[in-house]
Amino acid sequence: MSNTISQEEALEKRLPKPEELNPMTKESLAAAFAGESQAAEKYLVWAEQAEDEGYPNVGKLFRAISFAESRHARNHLRVMGGINSTAENLLAAFEGESFEVDEMYPAYHEIAKLQGNHQASRAITYALKSEVDHKGQYTDAREAVVAGEDIDDQPVNVCLACGHTIIGDAPDKCPYCGAGKELYKTF
Amino acid sequence: MAEPFKNTPPAPEAKGEMTAQNVAAALAGESQASQKYLAFADAADAEGYPNVARLFRAVAYAESTHARNHLSVLGMIGTTEENLKAAFGGETFEIDEMYAAYMAVAKLQSNGSAQTTIRYADSAEKDHQAIYDAVLKGVEGGQDCGTDAVRVCPICGHTVIGGAPDECPVCGTAGVYFKEF
Repeated sequence: MSNTISQEEALEKRLPKPEELNPMTKESLAAAFAGESQAAEKYLVWAEQAEDEGYPNVGKLFRAISFAESRHARNHLRVMGGINSTAENLLAAFEGESFEVDEMYPAYHEIAKLQGNHQASRAITYALKSEVDHKGQYTDAREAVVAGEDIDDQPVNVCLACGHTIIGDAPDKCPYCGAGKELYKTF
Repeated sequence: MAEPFKNTPPAPEAKGEMTAQNVAAALAGESQASQKYLAFADAADAEGYPNVARLFRAVAYAESTHARNHLSVLGMIGTTEENLKAAFGGETFEIDEMYAAYMAVAKLQSNGSAQTTIRYADSAEKDHQAIYDAVLKGVEGGQDCGTDAVRVCPICGHTVIGGAPDECPVCGTAGVYFKEF
């Protein structure tokens, strides 16, 4: 493990550093961060599509380029000062989830219902329910970290269909979308 | 008819304009959350919180499943040929328009680190544009691309097909640190 850290330290010296940004440059980097993040996610999905179509090497290529975009997203975030101590990161994560749970998804869900968009409604409901999981998990983790403790060493299971997130064992059936236990990914 | 939809990603549908905008905004939000959490996981590992790091990685994955669902509803998961064309178009926009403009602003405002992170990204997008162009030609003829490994610089994202260089030509990171796919 200490080997990993020293390697990281060596590499970290090459990363672009946080700096005081002018407002327009900050806006540019925030937009670039949004673009790179979406590219990284798209390429992962398109990798699965390529594999389904019998193009395993195109699938591999999409995964590699997704990782490259993920490095750009990390660099932009770092320059904007968005990567801090774990206690601060957990608070930022909690606030992001809270906004989605309290504001964004309820509003979007209402509009999707109003417009009769059933599929959008499903995608929104799946996300909203799992953001509630995350909000609670980040609250507990932050309490531990503020006290200088790591959280317990337990597996975290995520439903690959809807994102339901549970600390500990996966349920036999996903409570949000009905997916079977075998569709959970264990971390 | 709810039951048959279970366990399948929400499907594309004709949407109200406001709903389409909202799902697109949610895709942007989920994608950014996922990338933030991956960066926060590395920070937690470095601070000695491996279990918090695991939580961040798991939640990043959950946000990726939401991003995928939103993409599906938006009808943005096409055939591989269509996806490669969209990927090429996205990289071309970033090179010709987005990063070119952002670099000009960062230079005007003398923001040095911003210039570095923009230069790293812009340079790698040029790699990707060329790679997608070549691969698209194969897939249009029904051919997969070659089995060669793809290697990516963990600092700047420089992307090469085949062996890593001794040193990254963009940021100087030693080739042994390149991540192999």
